[in-house]
Amino acid sequence: MLKVRRKRVCQFCEKDIEYIDFKDDRQLVRFLTEQGKIIPRHTSGTCAKHQRQLARAVKRARQIAIIPFVTDFTR
Amino acid sequence: MAIYETIFILDSLMQTKEIDSAIERFSEILKSSGCKIRKEERWGKRRLAYEIQKKQYGFYGSIEFEGEGDVVRELENEYNFNDKVLRYLTYRYDKSKLKVMEKAKEDSPVKEEKPAVEKPVAAVVEKAEEPPAEKTENDAVETEEKSKE
Repeated sequence: MLKVRRKRVCQFCEKDIEYIDFKDDRQLVRFLTEQGKIIPRHTSGTCAKHQRQLARAVKRARQIAIIPFVTDFTR
Repeated sequence: MAIYETIFILDSLMQTKEIDSAIERFSEILKSSGCKIRKEERWGKRRLAYEIQKKQYGFYGSIEFEGEGDVVRELENEYNFNDKVLRYLTYRYDKSKLKVMEKAKEDSPVKEEKPAVEKPVAAVVEKAEEPPAEKTENDAVETEEKSKE
């Protein structure tokens, strides 16, 4: 049996976003896991061009404390 | 000449005057080394995503400028010297950002009347106080009792 997988389209290409702003934390958070890791391309469906930009944006945002490096779950 | 933007986080406990003078100083450094300042922004006090020097809040500000790359070192020297600067980030606008900016420039003459971007102020909803309502009920009961008598 073949698994029918729907092909994901890059969300940035769909919305015609050319520049990913690292100051917009709400937009970035959508591409992070709960722990604050960057979601890989094969999961999120982002195209290579935008994934590179996204990675840069996330790393910048982390530097100036807009999004956390790690989210620790204190138990 | 390239366009850069520098973002800095200042100690949020500083007086507004001190913040003003600090920002003035940064822009002065840029101007004295022959830079053109394009934009100066204050994002205001924001919560930090993680603690920096045991602080939870910081005052964000940014300056967009046009100049040579060697200015950045001078500016960052000042940042390092100033204890009130918690963090800074200076970066050069890449081609995709420049493209977007050019597009915006082309669009802007057409749309001269830009709607003022203002954040809607959250209205404070006051809850109706419960105690008076109870009192009135009690009064009503009392009056009823009195009428029975």
